[in-house]
Amino acid sequence: MEPLDENELNQLLSEWRAPSAPATLKDRVFPRQRARWWRWLFTGSVRVPVPVALAVVVLIALWIHYSKPAVRPTAAQPPTVSLTDFEPVRQLQPVVLGGQK
Amino acid sequence: MRNSEFKAAFEEYKDAVYRFAWRMMGSAAAAEDIAQDVFLSLLRHPGRFDPNRGNLRPFLLGITRNLVLKRWRDEHQWEELLDEQVSAKPIDLERSEKAEIVGAAVRSLPPLQREVLILFEYEELSLEEIARAVEAEVGTVKSRLHRARENLRRMLAPLKSSNGVRSWNR
Repeated sequence: MEPLDENELNQLLSEWRAPSAPATLKDRVFPRQRARWWRWLFTGSVRVPVPVALAVVVLIALWIHYSKPAVRPTAAQPPTVSLTDFEPVRQLQPVVLGGQK
Repeated sequence: MRNSEFKAAFEEYKDAVYRFAWRMMGSAAAAEDIAQDVFLSLLRHPGRFDPNRGNLRPFLLGITRNLVLKRWRDEHQWEELLDEQVSAKPIDLERSEKAEIVGAAVRSLPPLQREVLILFEYEELSLEEIARAVEAEVGTVKSRLHRARENLRRMLAPLKSSNGVRSWNR
């Protein structure tokens, strides 16, 4: 079969038309959320790699563990005695033991 | 690149980028993905465009071309990107519309011939602009374009009738 000549090919090529870009392309390149960025604080999500997440969990656990005040065992302490509890003797009453023999 | 400049570039070139991706990929969804990536690439790396080396349009079409070929390689990992081989699939001339037949014929060209033909015939880039976009010599571009047209003239020959191209009623 005889091939097309240049003009015939040009005519045929012009038959094949492509569509224009869809409106959704603009939404994808300029997402609407960008204008309301603060919404991200409520609806956004953050992708964290698993090793990083595990490391953070371990660090938090260690921090909690070591930040607790050390509980020392309460040993039985001797009662404290203060000299302020002593009072001078008001009336001296000497008792002689074994003096009647 | 300021935000207003980027928006203006998007409005001016979005159709060209999308059309080229659509013709290369044959899929609206893939073309939209690629067009999105092209403009996000421009947004993230505006410094890669050098106005001294040409206009923004061929630059964007060059990015589109690279993304199309990257997809093609991902989908055809075991096929070599040859310049010559024509992967012509059978086209049902009786049942298909003429535009569909032409589209199928162009898409059956090897990617390196197809991209040059589309950039030249449909996006009306000069040979020098195409050479920059596809990172090849101008002579190579001419040669690919010539082979692409030769292949199409043979593939589309069945559409020819004795008095010109068949059912030529525009």
